[in-house]
Amino acid sequence: MKVTRLTASLAAVALVLAACGGDGDDDSPTTPDDENGAVDETPAEGEVQRGGVYTTIAATQLDATAPPNPFFPQGNSYLGYNSMRLGWVKNHPTNPSEFYPGLASEWDVAPDNSTLTVTIHPDATWSDGTPVTAEDVVVSSDIAYTRGAGAFILSPGAAGTASDVEVIDDKTVQFTQDPENPTSTFINGIMDMVIVPAHVYADQLPDDFAQTLEAARNDDDAGEAARETVSEAGEALASFAPEEDVSAGPYVLERINPSEALLVRNEHFHHDHLVAPDQVILRNYTGNEQIWDYLRAGELDFAQFTAVPPDVVQQIEQVPGNEVSRTYSPVVAGLAFNQSYKPFDDVHVRRALAFAIDREQTVSIATPDGGTPAITTSGMHQEVLDAWAGEVAGELEPYAHDLDRAAEELEAAGMTQENGRWMLPSGEPFEVPIQVVTGFSDWITAGENIATQLNEFGIQSEILTAPDFTVYQEDMANGEYPVGFWLIGLGPSPYNIFQRLYGQSNGWQVLQGNLSYSPPGEDGNWKGGPETVEVDGIGTVNPGELAHELNTASPERVDEIMSILAQVTNETLPAIQMWDYINTQFSNNNRFITDPPDDARRITGVAALAGVWIQQGWVSAAG
Amino acid sequence: MSDVAAMTGATVTRATLRRNFWGSVWRVLLRKPSRLLGVVLMLGFAFMGSIGPMLYDRPLPRDPSVQFASPSLRHPFGTDFQGTDVFSLLVIGSRYVLLTALITAVVSVLLGTAVGLVAGFRRGALDAVLMRITDVNLTIPGLPLLLVLSTVWEFSGAWEMGLVLGLLGWGGLARAVRSQTLSLRERGFVEAARGLGLPNRHIVGRELLPPIAPYIAMNALMSLIVAVYAQVGLFFLGVMPVIGENWGVMLNRAVFDFGAMTTPARLPYMLAPLLAILLLTIAIVLVVDAMDEVFNPRLRVE
Repeated sequence: MKVTRLTASLAAVALVLAACGGDGDDDSPTTPDDENGAVDETPAEGEVQRGGVYTTIAATQLDATAPPNPFFPQGNSYLGYNSMRLGWVKNHPTNPSEFYPGLASEWDVAPDNSTLTVTIHPDATWSDGTPVTAEDVVVSSDIAYTRGAGAFILSPGAAGTASDVEVIDDKTVQFTQDPENPTSTFINGIMDMVIVPAHVYADQLPDDFAQTLEAARNDDDAGEAARETVSEAGEALASFAPEEDVSAGPYVLERINPSEALLVRNEHFHHDHLVAPDQVILRNYTGNEQIWDYLRAGELDFAQFTAVPPDVVQQIEQVPGNEVSRTYSPVVAGLAFNQSYKPFDDVHVRRALAFAIDREQTVSIATPDGGTPAITTSGMHQEVLDAWAGEVAGELEPYAHDLDRAAEELEAAGMTQENGRWMLPSGEPFEVPIQVVTGFSDWITAGENIATQLNEFGIQSEILTAPDFTVYQEDMANGEYPVGFWLIGLGPSPYNIFQRLYGQSNGWQVLQGNLSYSPPGEDGNWKGGPETVEVDGIGTVNPGELAHELNTASPERVDEIMSILAQVTNETLPAIQMWDYINTQFSNNNRFITDPPDDARRITGVAALAGVWIQQGWVSAAG
Repeated sequence: MSDVAAMTGATVTRATLRRNFWGSVWRVLLRKPSRLLGVVLMLGFAFMGSIGPMLYDRPLPRDPSVQFASPSLRHPFGTDFQGTDVFSLLVIGSRYVLLTALITAVVSVLLGTAVGLVAGFRRGALDAVLMRITDVNLTIPGLPLLLVLSTVWEFSGAWEMGLVLGLLGWGGLARAVRSQTLSLRERGFVEAARGLGLPNRHIVGRELLPPIAPYIAMNALMSLIVAVYAQVGLFFLGVMPVIGENWGVMLNRAVFDFGAMTTPARLPYMLAPLLAILLLTIAIVLVVDAMDEVFNPRLRVE
């Protein structure tokens, strides 16, 4: 399990934030996107060589007793295979709103981002032969409100939500963004929606659900009661067990046991001519070692990112047909400070630690195949730093490993060295406890290495563990950890990149559409940084306000804000950027050629990507 | 034995008895040199756990450029993921393991002996109460309890772990000591002591305890093995936080994080604590074998 739990957490965080991306003009087989949307008729040219069984790993552990319901916890509904979205977000470093087609063949966004018009593929059909229609999209939208995700949040003041869903014709639906609190990523919240068949799921909603939804938008007692009703409808849906799997994707669930799920071709899939494997087997696993063994035996046609020791990667690469791909992943590992704890409120101390830690050594020891050492601390992935920060990127302090400068910074903070140990002005030893999570092997190993390095430098340091990620997040939000690992730079959406540093965890939160600031220790503000900071050449800056503005700012203003926030982050170091994650994936080309473009190797909220690649025609039978 | 025969009918001094005892021990050890090896190993582990960690400067010297180096004269068990000598980690990690085992043994032996002696000697209602408590202790599922405790307790100190394992492990010894006490209390020398009006404290401490002391001592040694297995197993399984200097943590990291089961270069990091546990077990078993012969005249070969 280990880092897979971290991977799942990353995926979950990314899903919640609706972070998304896309590019691939050079390698995408799709027809070109226009400025405000896209039209797709043919994801890949011609037909692929068909036949065979494609074997891969399930994204989460299989539950053989669960129904094929995408809303059921651990339900046997697999995105890309027998579960479809309107579109699949591309992994563009800086543009979060480019998509590969799912059930939608066209999507048009109004220039002011106020509406999104989606057209279902004309041949889209459910596996029972029923056409996919606008009614399916509307029912799926209603269900999305019960889940409260993406653009379908009923809380008054929520940002980027859909205020109206209108059926234009049998295949076309228009979504209108709530003008009260718009965001630039509204489109993502719609396109990421899972589409389910209305003739199966509509009966699961209360008869007067449309009126309930309307009432739930009001900020009064009746609205509160309506939201409660909607939430209860969601709970009922989560336990619904359809009699059979009705899929609009390339596959239908045939059978499942505790070891594996078997999916067979859906002849009604609108791009069936692009689907190569006749069947797909999703293997279950209980530990990463199982995946390593499968890969070493050459049994998997594809496996998503899994923590693998470098020696094992070498063994996997030596297996005939096996290939390892390493692509950009919009996630950064940071060592964050709770500035309510002294002396971490002193920027000299934080800078001293940044100089004292040899990040290259840490990454080479902890995660040589999963990340690259951060070149500096900017709050964003190195891959997008130049694109967002422009000239400022070259002016940032790199905080290269330099013990002399670390010593200078500690002395500037009033510390002295006695018998090789750094002492606080009070005469107590300077201690750095580093909090990690049990099971997150890269964090634990990195934490051990950082503690070792700091001890060698004369700073007393040790690592402490939280039993699991949930406890870690709760304790961290309660301000119980002075120093701990924290994911930052969750791109590609500009707001998502910086909200991890200048969002609720640092005091800024959006209530009723308005930004407010809570002092350290209140309302989840565990980082405890100052509300405003002085930045060289800029003056007084409120980083939370700037980050919030990213939701609605013009492209020019976004560039300006990203540069300022990169500089703020570099100068004030609310976290030390440790490493930028790499998206490492494995495939075997003996039976199938799996060759997706780079921007499809990571899709928001989809851990097992082969289903998306298969339906786009990027998997073909070998020979 | 010839010395003893020569002194038949004479006043046997305490010093002579002691001399005879150690002479007997030495002969038992010499008869099977493997027992001597066991004693040497035991002394070695005692040195390792008590003095060993003090011989190393902290933080331990390391070379980050030689991660998981192969065994060599300089690094008998190679190096770990940070380039630290694994042997030094083994020595430093032994303190927690051995101290925990010692505390476990002491706690379980003290409790088990006290409860067994009192219950067997006094009998009656007190016996019934103590034995029901013992039954409860025997039925407590140790692993699930430790799982629960680990959510609120980090067991970062050997005292905490040793105390918990000791409190969980005295039931069996208490039952055994009680049964031996029940047998001994009917013997003539105990009757004589009672007849002389000696206090119960004297009877229990001076008449009943000495005959069963060898059994208790051997039990204490065997409980060291159990305690080592239990704590290392808990850390290996990840029930306890996998941080700190501990053989179980080394095993956990080796198997679950570093792929030692599948990567030969990382095998020494896993084998080092395993070898230490194996040698400790052998040492204890050999010493117990020797003790058995020393204290059991029927096994003695002259």
